[in-house]
Amino acid sequence: MDGFAKYLGRRLFQFFLVIFLGVSLAFLITNLSPVDPVEQSVALMTNFGATDPRSVELMRQALQELYGLQGSMLDQYLAFWGRVIRGDFGPSLSAFPTPVMSLIMSALPWTIGLLTLSLVITWTLGNLLGALAGYYRSNLLLKLSGAAVMALHPVPAYIIGLCLLLAFGFIWPILPISGGAQMNLQPGLTLDYLRSLIVHGTLPALTLVLVGLGSWFISMRSLVSNIVTDDHVVYAELGGVSSNKIFSQYVARNALLPQLTGLALSLGNVFGGAVITEFLFNYPGVGRLMIQGIYRGDYALVLGVTTISIIAVAVAVFIIDLIYPLIDPRVRLS
Amino acid sequence: MLLKKLAAAAFAIAATVMPVAAQDFIAGIPREEALIIQGPAAQNAEWFNLWAPGGGASNNGLQQLTADTFWFINPDGTGDAAWTNALASDKPIYNEDFTEMTVKLKEGIYWSDGVEFTADDVVYTVQTQMANPGMGWSAPFTVNVESVEATDRNTVVFTLNAPNSRFHTLFTVRWNAAWIMPKHVFEQVEDPLTYNNNPPVSLSAYQLHSYDSAGNWVIWKLRDDWERTSIGMTLSEAPEVKYVVYRNAGNPDARVIEQMNHNLDVINDIAPEGMFTIARDAGENTKYWFPGFPFAHPDPTLPSVLFNHQREPFADKDVRWALALLIDIRSVSMGSYRGAANLAALSTPPTGTAITDYYVPMQDWLANFELDTGDGAIKPYDPTISEQIAALVKPQWGDSIPSDTEELKRMFGFGWWKQDPAAATALLQKAGFSKNGNQWLKPDGTPFTIKLMVEGDNIPTLARAGTIIAQQWSMEGIQTTVDVAGPTNGQRLGGGDFDVAIYWTVETWGGHPDLSFFLESYHSDFIKQPGETQPPRNLTRWEDERLDAIIEANRTVNFDSPEVAQLGMDYLKLAVEEMPFIPLMAYNKFAPFDTTYWTGYPSAADPYSASGPFWSNLRYMIVALKAAQ
Amino acid sequence: MFKILRDMLRYNIEFAIGFVLTLSIFLFALAHFWAPLPDTAIYLLPPDMPPSAQYWFGTTSRGQDVLWQMSSAIWNTMLFGLTVTVLSRLLAVAVGMLSGYLGGRWDQALMTLNDTMIALPNIPILLLVYFVMRDSMSWPVLAATAALLGWNYDARLIRSVTLSLRNREFTRHAVFAGMSVPQILVRQHLPYVMPVIFFTAMNNLIWAIGLEVTLSVLGFSDINRPTIGGMIYWANQHQAIIAGIWWWIAFPIIAVVLLFLGLFLLAISVNEYIDPRSRLSRMGA
Repeated sequence: MDGFAKYLGRRLFQFFLVIFLGVSLAFLITNLSPVDPVEQSVALMTNFGATDPRSVELMRQALQELYGLQGSMLDQYLAFWGRVIRGDFGPSLSAFPTPVMSLIMSALPWTIGLLTLSLVITWTLGNLLGALAGYYRSNLLLKLSGAAVMALHPVPAYIIGLCLLLAFGFIWPILPISGGAQMNLQPGLTLDYLRSLIVHGTLPALTLVLVGLGSWFISMRSLVSNIVTDDHVVYAELGGVSSNKIFSQYVARNALLPQLTGLALSLGNVFGGAVITEFLFNYPGVGRLMIQGIYRGDYALVLGVTTISIIAVAVAVFIIDLIYPLIDPRVRLS
Repeated sequence: MLLKKLAAAAFAIAATVMPVAAQDFIAGIPREEALIIQGPAAQNAEWFNLWAPGGGASNNGLQQLTADTFWFINPDGTGDAAWTNALASDKPIYNEDFTEMTVKLKEGIYWSDGVEFTADDVVYTVQTQMANPGMGWSAPFTVNVESVEATDRNTVVFTLNAPNSRFHTLFTVRWNAAWIMPKHVFEQVEDPLTYNNNPPVSLSAYQLHSYDSAGNWVIWKLRDDWERTSIGMTLSEAPEVKYVVYRNAGNPDARVIEQMNHNLDVINDIAPEGMFTIARDAGENTKYWFPGFPFAHPDPTLPSVLFNHQREPFADKDVRWALALLIDIRSVSMGSYRGAANLAALSTPPTGTAITDYYVPMQDWLANFELDTGDGAIKPYDPTISEQIAALVKPQWGDSIPSDTEELKRMFGFGWWKQDPAAATALLQKAGFSKNGNQWLKPDGTPFTIKLMVEGDNIPTLARAGTIIAQQWSMEGIQTTVDVAGPTNGQRLGGGDFDVAIYWTVETWGGHPDLSFFLESYHSDFIKQPGETQPPRNLTRWEDERLDAIIEANRTVNFDSPEVAQLGMDYLKLAVEEMPFIPLMAYNKFAPFDTTYWTGYPSAADPYSASGPFWSNLRYMIVALKAAQ
Repeated sequence: MFKILRDMLRYNIEFAIGFVLTLSIFLFALAHFWAPLPDTAIYLLPPDMPPSAQYWFGTTSRGQDVLWQMSSAIWNTMLFGLTVTVLSRLLAVAVGMLSGYLGGRWDQALMTLNDTMIALPNIPILLLVYFVMRDSMSWPVLAATAALLGWNYDARLIRSVTLSLRNREFTRHAVFAGMSVPQILVRQHLPYVMPVIFFTAMNNLIWAIGLEVTLSVLGFSDINRPTIGGMIYWANQHQAIIAGIWWWIAFPIIAVVLLFLGLFLLAISVNEYIDPRSRLSRMGA
């Protein structure tokens, strides 16, 4: 137990370091962006109306005060850390004065729901098919499904999404192609609302599953086909252990280790992966929120979403790190 | 085994959810009572305060359906019919030297919570915004208004800091204007800048029904007392549109699909190809601004090739003219709009009253206009462009293209400059340029290359126009690369961080000959140093004493005086001679309407209202629509 | 080397198919050097022509030949993808193996760096870097940035493989036999890591091309340079799918899918060749 406590302490330290470095880097890069939120707001407000040029200067000064953009970069950085610790990322510049946090919090459940569901389906299905295909190499059905999955794999998410959108929204219009739920439906734990959620989530989730399936399938198949030739598997085969047992106990378990690490680490990419899908299907998640933030030069919002994703991924990696020694006993001994 | 189970599970899920797909498109609202309009993705869905910076949340129906102010100009209208008195009972009344403006208000108008609208609301609106810098119209009020006072319940008198014959334009809607605030709501509020005004009280015929906290849709409902509004009192019977739904319908492809599935009645803009698809596959239940090709609605906005006059060599008028003469406008029209462009040689959009006020009367002047190339004078104007475009699109559109040249001019524009590489060569040589092989060299001997900035995806037609012009210049020996600025476009234009760009620097009332809407900001007083942000709209930073003289003269002329059009022509002639930017065309928008549920949309034949979903003037269309069944 | 290639082509059907697919697509991409028209020229051909004897894959709405556009696009996209992959593999292998083998402080330091990089969402960061660089953002710079963001995930995979190898008997034997760290890593561990490198390279190539497509679809790339993503961008600008100009998007996609199938088949068969036990098992089977 002592060793485990030490391991835990190390991981905790690393966990906080990751957050510190990640957040600092994100702040730095975001602040290097030449997009000036004040100019963006001025442009937004003067784009269409009749504007007196003398008034714009006044407006600019007022906005700078409002947005708290005054002071040196160090001042802004320290102020930002204060906000991170309080869980308050300040007001969104493009949705002033709504707090960034409340924008993220209302978008986050959509993304978490969509991504968890599609990731679990993708990971389970991809690994199962990949492991089976790596073990039973001559099975025709598995070969065919493997070929299908691999053929879909390189197709960009945008194209898969657009094809699904065309197929089920246009040629055979049975599924909604936009939004997270039916319009004017009261959110709540009602059957109608849950159904509406599922119906609206189907196409985005399907897109993410089809896009993601291939990489799990391919890496699992390769891992398994390597392990199959390992000595311990060969001995087991010679020793007459049943092939089902070899598959589940000797092969799959070993191959799952890197795949489990992969699952935790792929969480960092899901924000990126979801961006195009959420954007295409107008899904009200964090990815779409972020793209809007970028388009509007809202660095408070972009920074908020980035920070939340850094913390979320760090937490996920931490949890996987805790589980890891339980599954791979060799690590425990080190 | 496993596959079977999975398939069974999939079927089970499908069976549970399928019935939903067949349900109403909008829960609880009959489709035939709702008009569905393409809305923005509101980032600040809970925000309904029009007067404080709120993330552009106002285009989701808030400013179109609940806000009101003194006057409206129909951007597609002409003459007196384009002007509407909304909250005001009459046009603005100025004193002799334009230092005082009096507004008479209508009676019997009520806020949606039953409180009566009075002159006190107006005074409160102006004073509150002056007291709170950062509110939307705070700065223009501060600059202009010395004092404002309600002399009686229905009369407001503005005393101005300096003479200004255009002060009333602050309260005149062309897209938007200074909206009147509900005094009885905001005086209860501690800070009007941070108050979200949710739910908003309405001063117009519709009020908030429900909204999506994720910002994808907002539903507005007809007020029970719709007659007690400025728009309602002009109607003889209740508007048939009971609900207005602003929904963010996704990317252009999704918009086309949604309209063809009858889930989106009004589209803001799509690419020409999407428009042609709708006309081809759903022609029977859709309507457009023009009944056939070119379909599009021309906004009173003028996409142009903008030069940065503060960067060499674009300060030289000969260089600008040379670049204009290297453009083959026919391929620009075909490539950007597939021929469906309304071309403009004058520096004002060829829409609304500009046709009769400027384009028709100035044709002779344009035809006789001579340009000195340094190698003799040429007459560059080609009035037959519209016929040439018609010949190019005829193979695709056949008999739907009329043969009457007058009609063609209204569809494709009155004329443009002939492509003339020889004259361009002469002009460039006059400016000290020389040609080495097929590469033009600047006077200092370095190659003449251009970075042409476009915004990109947001306005696909202009991005396309940019790539074509870049190719034409490159082929003539001026290497031009297209630079997609994306979201930084506005900032770079304002900051003068570009050589040449495709964008607009001219927008007009559309329904009125007065050009002060953009021209006022062209005065040299407002030109900034390179690197500093130029106030809208003189993005090219064009500076000319003759221009200043025109602007100063316009300031002292009454809005409705015939002299306004005279000064307008002076500006247009100067702009042709100087070519400060190359006007290309009106900003055409492909905005098809679905007629499955609603009919009576405005069109070129009956331009009774603006039709753009984000224009506040849209309200006059909504109340005029008739149910199809 | 030539003999090996001949043997593999003769005895390994997967390798043969993969080799032929990849080679033909490579040759097809190479052909763009002999294209009749410059690949950036527009409106020189009649637009929207469906596939025909004259234009095998049809023409775009911009008056370009889809066949020749694709040829240039695949070349440019491959160049980008391979640059990202090679750069990021070098980083991933170096960091992953060192971290996994050395353990302790080194492992902690390297993995901390690694996890920090992983936690940064790629797409927004690339967009921001693009904003900062703007005009000076050429494709090599983009490739370098992508490589800096794309190694860490695979470094962790490689580390986890090395981590279990480290506790194996043969590593201890090698240490007792007096082998140096680089020797152990390259001679003893690299063969085990090799399959992971190959398959992560596949994934990385796909990721890099997906990145290119994503950025191009959003308009954040050099739209003058034909790439697979750039073709999709322009097709979207002209609403090609909705307008029925399917050949503008379908043929590039088919080409990419074939290319990936080819590369994948190559990778698994080369993997078998590198890992001798796998070859033996095939012969025995």
